[in-house]
Amino acid sequence: MQVAIAEDSVLLREGLARLLTDAGVAVTGRFANAVDLLRFVRSSPPDVTIVDIRLPPTHTDEGMRAALEIRHHNPGVGVLVLSQYVELGLAMKLLSESAEGVGYLLKDRIGDVPEFLAAVERVAKGGSALDPTIVTTLLGRRRTVDPLAALTPREHRVLELMAAGASNQGIADALVITVRAVEKYVSSIFSKLGLPSTSSDSRRVHAVLLFLRS
Amino acid sequence: MAPVTGREPGQGHLHPARGSVLWALGVAGLAAASVAVALAMTGDNLQRPVLQAVLINWIVLPYTLSGIVAWWRRPDSRLGPLMVAVGLVTALSSLQWADSPLLFTAGHLVDMLPPVLILHVFLAYPTGLLQARSERLVVVTGYLVALLPQVAKGLLGVQPGSLLNLVEAAALGSAIEQGQLLAISVLLLVGVVLLVSRRRRTGRPRRRPVGLLTDAFALGLVMLALLFIAGARGWTSFEIIRHLTFLVLGLAPLAFLAGLLDARLARGDVGGLLVDLQQDGVPDLSLSLARALHDPSVQVAYWLPEFDSWTDQDGRPTTLPSSGGSRAARLIYSAGAPVAALTFHSSLEDERELLDAVVAAAAIALENGRLHAELRARLDELQGSRTRVLQAEQRERQRLERDLHDGAQQRLVALTLELGLLERGLGSDPATAARLALVRQELAVALTELRDVARGLHPAVLSAHGLAVALESLVARSPVPVRLAVHVEGRLGEAVEVAAYYVVCESLANVAKHAGADSIEVALASGGGWVTVRVVDDGAGGADPEGGSGLRGLADRVESLGGRLRVWSPAGGGTRLEAEIPCR
Repeated sequence: MQVAIAEDSVLLREGLARLLTDAGVAVTGRFANAVDLLRFVRSSPPDVTIVDIRLPPTHTDEGMRAALEIRHHNPGVGVLVLSQYVELGLAMKLLSESAEGVGYLLKDRIGDVPEFLAAVERVAKGGSALDPTIVTTLLGRRRTVDPLAALTPREHRVLELMAAGASNQGIADALVITVRAVEKYVSSIFSKLGLPSTSSDSRRVHAVLLFLRS
Repeated sequence: MAPVTGREPGQGHLHPARGSVLWALGVAGLAAASVAVALAMTGDNLQRPVLQAVLINWIVLPYTLSGIVAWWRRPDSRLGPLMVAVGLVTALSSLQWADSPLLFTAGHLVDMLPPVLILHVFLAYPTGLLQARSERLVVVTGYLVALLPQVAKGLLGVQPGSLLNLVEAAALGSAIEQGQLLAISVLLLVGVVLLVSRRRRTGRPRRRPVGLLTDAFALGLVMLALLFIAGARGWTSFEIIRHLTFLVLGLAPLAFLAGLLDARLARGDVGGLLVDLQQDGVPDLSLSLARALHDPSVQVAYWLPEFDSWTDQDGRPTTLPSSGGSRAARLIYSAGAPVAALTFHSSLEDERELLDAVVAAAAIALENGRLHAELRARLDELQGSRTRVLQAEQRERQRLERDLHDGAQQRLVALTLELGLLERGLGSDPATAARLALVRQELAVALTELRDVARGLHPAVLSAHGLAVALESLVARSPVPVRLAVHVEGRLGEAVEVAAYYVVCESLANVAKHAGADSIEVALASGGGWVTVRVVDDGAGGADPEGGSGLRGLADRVESLGGRLRVWSPAGGGTRLEAEIPCR
């Protein structure tokens, strides 16, 4: 797996690179700004890019724009956006068309190395990784008519992991249950929410997000 | 600051004693007129006595009356006494019709004085003073020519019956009389020239009655000169000329009275002036004042203390007329210092009360204007400082957020990463692993808290990604269900976005805290240079816009951008908050 990083803080950039290298991931590019990253992605596209949302020169939306551009021009390259804050609106922007090969995590998540590496790998392979904060916000959102009320607590937890981008295997591992049990929960959730069932993890994420957002 | 006043400090009223003097003069005038009539009717050697009595009183009465009025209106001016003198001396000249030698002699002595007095009056109008040396010379010469030859004529027996008669040399006396008459007529014509040249210098007075009056003066002097020439040359038409001259001379004081009456009538227009001035922003103060004073030449001048000079309405430097000329000025004071001045034709000095009223009205208008300007300046200043305070606060918050983001938050994240790496390399000592997990947890809490602080300082997502994105997160966190509709084209100005964001933020918090609402609708729309933010809930209503500091603060923020915030909150009817902010 090849990874390119765009992060203007040297401390974090080098830390990330070390973390990935230690895990046997090839870090093929390290950049302090979006322009260099984009040029690199065009010439030698990696499997996944890790992009800080605030990049020079204005430290506002350069990282975000770079992420959207990569998703548009290089759909095969996964994009994992890291930020000090996660915003529902930005998540919806990133995932507006599909949840395929896209991730949006708080920077804090780097500290949980196995989880973080799993997320990077997932995004590289076309899956998704959505920060739990966003999923919690969406699930906790008040609705005048709340279809989520029909879910059992167990189903609720499965939906949460599913929305964050976890695969059935991932959910099974997290809840210490069998994959078959997860499949049963998932189909129950989809029928309760009235969503068409889908095989792909990332399409599942997309459908759930759009449902939760409305 | 003390109010602007129209009255000069220490300016007094008419002295009551002067009133009785004027009454006495009036009675004297009437008496003199009666005496003249009596003498004309009883005199032996007078042809057409009724005509003579009417003619002489055509001079005596108007001049005495106008003189008294002028004296009353303007006690400081010599014009009134001069006019009274014309009336009384003319009456005195009728003594030559008396049979008594003493009275006859006295009457004869002053016989030539009235024309010179009239010349004096005409030249001294409107101030009562002779301005130019030439004028003084003409008048003094006139008095000498009117008096001295008269004495000589008496001595030489030109007038039989005069007590002065010493020698009989009528031929010489007649020659002197010829010279006297011609000299007086020349002086009168010089007077006409002086009047005409003065008019050429200052222009025809723009007050109509004053213009007519000066016409009457010039014509009167010409007629007088003609009369004297006719007398000297012994023209047969002398009598006709004499009657016409009297007619014209008597018209002058009547024109004078008409001028006074016109100014008095103008007093009725002070009410109109006040109505004029009450309207906001009087376009041309001097125009309104000119209308009220019946004097189109009225001008307003303003005192500029910093330049130590007067300026006209258009800001051009100007000077005030010096006293005694055809123009006069009244100062308008504030706190004892002049702030403005009215300049006008000096004939208006006769109308003190009118001037007082108009100047007072002008003072009120000027004071109002000054207060308006001051208030506006203060409001602008206040508005500006409020905007500056809010902007400075906003900048400072942004700076702090940025510092946190690039500093403490970044370091803590790096620390988290380092900790993760450390954890991996440590192997499987459960005690150490547990302690590391605890540290990681603490770090996560610290990061979350810092994140909340940073977000509270400034919603970075707003500056970076705009209202729609920022509001989506805000609305998703609301404990009361929100329907959000954002129809905003592109990015608005940062200050506008921040204000709109806080309007929604604060409103959602208020609804959650107080309204007990089931749902909220948030709508943003931009267009026509304005952005409208509307937050409507279905809660209890009854919110007091002035009550909470939250709403007041929002209103401050919105108003500092030139917008406005309105709240409808009937009890039991939900709350509707609407902010309109200009965004161009």
